[in-house]
Amino acid sequence: MVSDEVLRTHLQELRRGTVVVASLVALRRPDYGYALLQRLAAHGFAVDANTLYPLLRRLEDQGLLTSEWNTEESRPRKFYRTSDDGETVLNRLLDDMTAVRTSVTDLIEGAER
Amino acid sequence: MSSLTDRYVAATMRAVPAQRRLELAEELRGSIADMIDDRTSGGQDHASAEREVLTELGHPEKLAARYSDRTLQLIGPRYYLLWWRLLRQLLTYIPAIVGVLSGLAKALLDGEPGAAIGTAVVAAMQTAVQIAFWVTLAFAVLERTRTPLGLPEWTVDQLAEESRERQISHSDSIASAVFLLATVGFLIGQHFQRWTTDDGSRMAVLDPALWSFWLPALIVVLLATVGLEIAKYRAGRWTWPLVAVNAVLNVAFAAPVLWLLGTDRLLNPELVERFAWLRDGGTDQVARVTAAVVVLVAIWDVTESAVKARRAA
Repeated sequence: MVSDEVLRTHLQELRRGTVVVASLVALRRPDYGYALLQRLAAHGFAVDANTLYPLLRRLEDQGLLTSEWNTEESRPRKFYRTSDDGETVLNRLLDDMTAVRTSVTDLIEGAER
Repeated sequence: MSSLTDRYVAATMRAVPAQRRLELAEELRGSIADMIDDRTSGGQDHASAEREVLTELGHPEKLAARYSDRTLQLIGPRYYLLWWRLLRQLLTYIPAIVGVLSGLAKALLDGEPGAAIGTAVVAAMQTAVQIAFWVTLAFAVLERTRTPLGLPEWTVDQLAEESRERQISHSDSIASAVFLLATVGFLIGQHFQRWTTDDGSRMAVLDPALWSFWLPALIVVLLATVGLEIAKYRAGRWTWPLVAVNAVLNVAFAAPVLWLLGTDRLLNPELVERFAWLRDGGTDQVARVTAAVVVLVAIWDVTESAVKARRAA
């Protein structure tokens, strides 16, 4: 029997890159850190806050997200949105996810039993 | 704004680059407030919600490292192997060389052969610590600055060079040579750094009469053994001729020692005279133990060389 530790590590590895994809998709509609966290969680992407907030920063530095401060509400919030470059990268990533999915399906169907 | 959050934000901001501090602090503070609000609207009290949120965010410096994309390791995978190889190479010889040299300097220049071994050990250890510290520091700086070293990529050709069978390791050869030279040093040193007795008179441990022939002969044998170590290192493994020379040298060392022990000629007679337990049969005990050790070491050494030669053949 595989230990939970091993399983958890593999799941983590598998999930790691998908947070970026999920964020870029979700931020086609601008949102701020915590609201994005909740939206992702509602869609089955359980991301830690201390992973997501720095990630948004990094994606912004890389030019995949743009940001704007919104001061109209009760407290000022930084809203992120997927940039044009972000959209381009996202499309590549989504294509790749589809390709991986297809490959895995092929492999499962083609595998001898 | 409560103080725990203030303290958390301050602790995080201390560890991020100054130019982005203000904006990051503002955003982090907002995110924390959002998270707390979400919990308090579910009926939780503010204080415990705050603790929970900050605990979830974790160690401030860890969070700051994620924000500024900084490594949380002294030396990461990029430099680790290089650091380890360099450290090993430097530690193999330099401390030993420094130790031997400062030991010799103590013995010959300061005229204190008795303090030589202590001086050598201390010097070697200090050198080792210094090397380890400075090499590690240099690599830690490289890791932080992410300096590309422009080292050649690994190729299979390196594999070919290294994969030649090497039975005799670098460090083993050096350790053996150092041990042999230390033994020579002892043979010479015991004559000059004499045993000081209670009444202040000083005596050599071994019979000074042996200097006419036997001690120089033993020293020659030991030096020849150092030569054998070098030949063996160059060959990279034990060969049958080397085993034969090794056997001859072992006999050439053990036989005289055993004979001198058997005929009570090894220890300085003056020294024996001085100590009652040596006079009353103690020399026999010393001779028996020494003889046993000498024989065992010789047998072990020759057997080991033969086994290794056979394995390498």
